[in-house]
Amino acid sequence: MATGQKGSISRKLTRMNMLVSATALLLACIGFVAYDLSTFQATLVRNLSIQAQVAGSNSVSALTFDDPVAAERTLSAFRLAPNIVSACIYRPDGKAFATYQRDSSARIPSRPQIAPGDEESHWGEHDDLMLVHTIVFQGQSAGYVFIQSDEQTLIERMKHYFTIALAVLVLSLIVALFLSHVARRSIAEPVVQLAEVARTVSRGKNYAIRAIPGKEEGELAVLVATFNEMLEQIEEQDRSLRTAHDELERRVEQRTGELAAANKELESFSYSVSHDLRSPLRSIDGFSQALMDDYGEKLDTAANEHMKRIRSATQKMGLLIDDLLNLSKVTRSPMQREPVNLSDMARSTATELAKRDGQRSVEWVIEQNVQAHGDSRLLQIVLDNLLGNAWKYTSKHQSARIEFGLKRQNGSSAYFIKDDGAGFDPEYSARLFGAFQRLHGAAEFPGTGIGLATVQRIVLRHGGKVWAEGAVEKGATFYFTL
Amino acid sequence: MSFALACASTLSGVVHAQQSKPSEYQVKAAYLYNFSRFVEWPAAERGEPFAICVLGKDPFGTILDATVSGQGTGTQNLVAKRVTKPQDALACQILFVGNSEEDHLKEILAVLGKASVLTVSDIPRFSERGGMIEFLLKGDRVRFEVNLSNAVNAGLSVSSDLLKVALAVRKNPQSGA
Repeated sequence: MATGQKGSISRKLTRMNMLVSATALLLACIGFVAYDLSTFQATLVRNLSIQAQVAGSNSVSALTFDDPVAAERTLSAFRLAPNIVSACIYRPDGKAFATYQRDSSARIPSRPQIAPGDEESHWGEHDDLMLVHTIVFQGQSAGYVFIQSDEQTLIERMKHYFTIALAVLVLSLIVALFLSHVARRSIAEPVVQLAEVARTVSRGKNYAIRAIPGKEEGELAVLVATFNEMLEQIEEQDRSLRTAHDELERRVEQRTGELAAANKELESFSYSVSHDLRSPLRSIDGFSQALMDDYGEKLDTAANEHMKRIRSATQKMGLLIDDLLNLSKVTRSPMQREPVNLSDMARSTATELAKRDGQRSVEWVIEQNVQAHGDSRLLQIVLDNLLGNAWKYTSKHQSARIEFGLKRQNGSSAYFIKDDGAGFDPEYSARLFGAFQRLHGAAEFPGTGIGLATVQRIVLRHGGKVWAEGAVEKGATFYFTL
Repeated sequence: MSFALACASTLSGVVHAQQSKPSEYQVKAAYLYNFSRFVEWPAAERGEPFAICVLGKDPFGTILDATVSGQGTGTQNLVAKRVTKPQDALACQILFVGNSEEDHLKEILAVLGKASVLTVSDIPRFSERGGMIEFLLKGDRVRFEVNLSNAVNAGLSVSSDLLKVALAVRKNPQSGA
């Protein structure tokens, strides 16, 4: 992976170098060849003309002294020029005097094709270049030379160019490869190292690592230096952040400990208070009972009435203490979550309530098979309280209807207990779940004001929410989620 | 007709023996003139005509005069002369020695000595016997041999082009160095 990363930038550099040099070279070659080809025709004609002149002047004496063998000897030198297809020396009257043929297929015009008085003429024929040159000796025409050259020269030249271009291309690519190797050392290598360091830092979250500055100056050195500076800053910040975090953690732990201790203290206090309050109350109640039983006849009606009030007050206080104990128990006891059928639970509670006062006409509407996941004992307390409240606050009505079910809305669902009883003023709905908070007088509806506080605590322990909707004399609906 | 053709040939400096079948001496007359174009003489006095001379029995008749007439090398006039004495030949540039003089060859060449006269002849082994250019017949073609040493000794410079078409180029061993 590291080598792959390392390869990418140097490979890019190499590719760039190669591309640049190859492109420049190709363009140069194209330009050179284009120029050369544009002048090549002229060069070819000039060269052929020179060859014709040389052959002609070497043949003057042979023409003068009628020695075709000597002339043919002269022409045979063309064997060394493979592009010469054929050559011929003509007498001044146009008759062929001596000939040269590269091979048997070479054809020679029977007469020189040149206008009288012209020194030279040339023309193309099937890719071949023909040239006729007048041999002039001491101001007089001594005859003509004809030369035919084929395109072989051109092909040879192209081959030559191609070979040279290829060789130069290969050579310059090798040089470019070498140069890019050098460039890699000076450019790619530091970048690759920097990337490696950055990766190590990022992976290991170790900000103590530093990139090694190279020998070069300029942007790369600045990059390395800045990178190291940034690392230093990050390291510093990381350190202070860690210190702050540790400090905070320590403080939270301390506070939590303190809070837990205080809470425990408070709970055990309220438990013991509730528990300890019971025995004197039991004495008061017991002795009031005894007083009434033993001396009831000796006391007058007013005293008996007072005794009754004492007893009812102590019983009420007993209930209060029981509720307080319940509340603290709800907070203290460990939770055991399990699947619970709330419908069954609600039904049994309803049956229990109905048994308590058979005179009332209450319609129970309980949805079938409402399931929940929670502590069954605590959920029983929740249902007892909410259904009990519904039962209680419908007691002033001739007939009542109490509903239990699951309401689904906007993808979430909540359990609900709905009644059509006394309801409450929605303005005070926030106070409903506070301990000892009551919206109705005790004379109107009996109660301690702890039930809804207990419900809220249980729901909160389950990680849920409880809220209520209602209006005076329009009934109330309590929702809760778990 | 053949005369006109010979004229045309010499005008352009070439004789076509086979083609127009000119006579042997028509060819030789043309060659005599053509030699002048491939040999350099030491600087001649201005105004002096360039003389092609015939010593002894003249085999050319009017042919030589016809060939030479009107031809001039540069500023010089070209003339054909008949000489009877070797001494007269000293004023010539080219001397054709007729067959009749074969027996007096030694004396003639002795008279010419180192004079810049190009000696040409039909006489057999002329080039070996002190002459410079010897006409030979190869089939029906007129060819020639050159004795370069003799020409050089006479202060003449012979073009290599001429030597190239000579049947043979001789050099005298004794005068080689």
